[in-house]
Amino acid sequence: MIEVRDLTKTFQSGDTTVSAVRNVSFSVPEGKFVSIIGKSGSGKSTLLSLLGALDRPSKGSINIAGHDIAALGDRSLVDYRRKKIGFVFQSYNLIPNLTALENVMLPMSFNGLPSGSRLRRATELLDQVGITSDKQQRKPGKLSGGEQQRVAIARALANRPALILADEPTGNLDTETGKKIFDLLHKLSREQKTTIIVVTHDLSIAGRTDESFRLQDGKLVKAK
Amino acid sequence: MNTFTLGLRNAFRNAVRSISIMFILGLSIGLCLVMLIADQAVKQKINDVKSAVGTTITIAPAGFNSFSDANNALTTSSVDKVKSLAHITNLAEVLADRLTTIGAAQPSFSRFGGDANTNAQTSLTSPVTLNTNGDNNGGIGSRIFVNGGGSLPANFSLPVPIVGTTDPTKLNSNDAILKSGAMLDGAKDSNDAMISTAMASKNNLGVGSTFTAYGQTLQVVGLFDTGNQGANSTVVVSLATLQRLTGQTGDITSAVATVDTLDNLSAATTAVKNMLGSSADVQSAQEEANNAVQPLENVASISLISLMGAVIAGGVIILLTMVMIVRERRREIGILKAIGASNSRVVLQFMSEALTLTVAGALIGVVIGVAGGNPVTNMLVSSSTTASLSSTAQTSSGGARFAGGGRFFGTRSVTGNFLQRSGNGLLNSASNVTTNIGWSILAYGLAASLLIAAIGSSFAGWMIARVKPYEVMRAE
Ligand SMILES: Nc1ncnc2c1ncn2[C@@H]1O[C@H](COP(=O)(O)OP(=O)(O)O)[C@@H](O)[C@H]1O
Ligand SMILES: [Mg+2]
Repeated sequence: MIEVRDLTKTFQSGDTTVSAVRNVSFSVPEGKFVSIIGKSGSGKSTLLSLLGALDRPSKGSINIAGHDIAALGDRSLVDYRRKKIGFVFQSYNLIPNLTALENVMLPMSFNGLPSGSRLRRATELLDQVGITSDKQQRKPGKLSGGEQQRVAIARALANRPALILADEPTGNLDTETGKKIFDLLHKLSREQKTTIIVVTHDLSIAGRTDESFRLQDGKLVKAK
Repeated sequence: MNTFTLGLRNAFRNAVRSISIMFILGLSIGLCLVMLIADQAVKQKINDVKSAVGTTITIAPAGFNSFSDANNALTTSSVDKVKSLAHITNLAEVLADRLTTIGAAQPSFSRFGGDANTNAQTSLTSPVTLNTNGDNNGGIGSRIFVNGGGSLPANFSLPVPIVGTTDPTKLNSNDAILKSGAMLDGAKDSNDAMISTAMASKNNLGVGSTFTAYGQTLQVVGLFDTGNQGANSTVVVSLATLQRLTGQTGDITSAVATVDTLDNLSAATTAVKNMLGSSADVQSAQEEANNAVQPLENVASISLISLMGAVIAGGVIILLTMVMIVRERRREIGILKAIGASNSRVVLQFMSEALTLTVAGALIGVVIGVAGGNPVTNMLVSSSTTASLSSTAQTSSGGARFAGGGRFFGTRSVTGNFLQRSGNGLLNSASNVTTNIGWSILAYGLAASLLIAAIGSSFAGWMIARVKPYEVMRAE
């Protein structure tokens, strides 16, 4: 269960203050697949970065399994990101000089997993997201956008997170590939019972999730 | 894959750039080592020279600005008192003069001040010959000795220095090695003389032969060799003999006192200075050694400054490199943090990258250091000792000009030669520096690279810590 209360994030740039997220409150039950839609600049990415502890809120609380992550110290935040969260970004954000396999193994090494288990699990995950073994040895530059996003999804799953946060994961992909990636996320949410929050422009995608919220100028509007 | 492997691999991500950086670092670390080698070798040499010098005190007449006859002659009676001082074990006294060859033209050796001593002639001819080609450009000799231009006379011959000494085993700093006959007795007034083997063969003389000087007949009792052309052209008699022959009873031109131990040298030197006052220039061998190693001290400080400069340069190179790399990979740092890497882990990864670059640089640097240590040391030492050699020679001859007390042109020159030789001898030995390249150089190279890597990574580490993970949410 994720419970967000009165979440607010303001940015100060020079004289002007931008409120990217304003008094947002919502809750997501465990294992649900939720989408957030909204125009560009409506605060979707900011909300995700708060949920994923990439940034601290200006106000409010985020309760995950009974812990307020807004109150955590820096070290605990790193722990939280590493153990509880899996990120999928619009621009994939793979490490360019590591192979697909090594990219997936990386978060496991942060977690202190022995290299044998890392290799086994990474291979398993890449098989699961449909990256064949010859492509597992390739560096991101030698993979297509869709393939890179599959690798990124495998990496997000590496440490068995409680929550996967995907920021426009299909934004850089053609419709067909985007649909496949979304199907993959959908399948994972059903099979692994992981909570997934996905930000998207695509209303047809949003229609297929368990729940959908709309953000407008930083404010949350229930859509479905 | 662990942090260090990642850092190591990243060091070769941009191969051309990495190799260039390694070579530049290698040069700077190599320079560090070269300077370290030079510094060690030179300091070792300074210690060697200082501990190897004798325990002698040189006494010469004081005075710098007088050509006057009466000026500053040392006398046996005043210098003899030095013998009574504590710790003085021996005193060698020397009187020097110069003879001209009978029948030879002497365009420039007229008496200084006009007090002609027609006795100062000898049947000997100097073994040292000059180019007397008649022309003005006939070499250094013609320019020095010809008054008012013109050419050297055809029958010109160099004057023959003569030294009266209480210690014939030494011509000042040159050891006179006996080749045949007997060593002259320096304490006895007799008509005995020692000449060099070169002088003997030039004049067809041997042990037992005779020659004339100051209108008297002298007998050769021994033949010596000093290995030095100037000293080998000198006739050696006892001090008392030369004092009698020149009519300079009681006069000497210089003396060398020997002190029992090095520890007592400086106290004894002070005692001699106090005793002789302003009438004499008193210099201990230690002071001479200090003067001789002065250029080496300069080399030592140059190499130390260069060493620090090279370490700083290496640090700056790796610092700028790491700043460039961190700026380039800012997004990657954000990604690592977003997927769960701690600050310290990312910093460690970049530090191992910096370390890989510097250790590779250090290996290149050790090669440069080992190859360049010896030649660079020699170059530094020889250039700085050459500069000071010529200045020492100048001061020596400057001082020497007056060393004869202004009596005879010749006397001055002879003593000048001796002083100059002694200075050069120490200097030459001081400039002969050998480097010692051992395993420690590897350790130093490694230490230098660790230091440089630490300096270089520190600022990069600070930059890494400031990268916010939410930056990766922005589109590229
Ligand atoms: N680090 C920041 N500093 C200043 N303003 C920011 C920052 N991040 C986001 N914003 C602003 O906050 C608002 C929401 O941005 P964002 O969350 O990226 O919107 P979305 O992802 O929905 O397009 C925008 O007006 C944006 O300019
Ligand atoms: Mg966005």
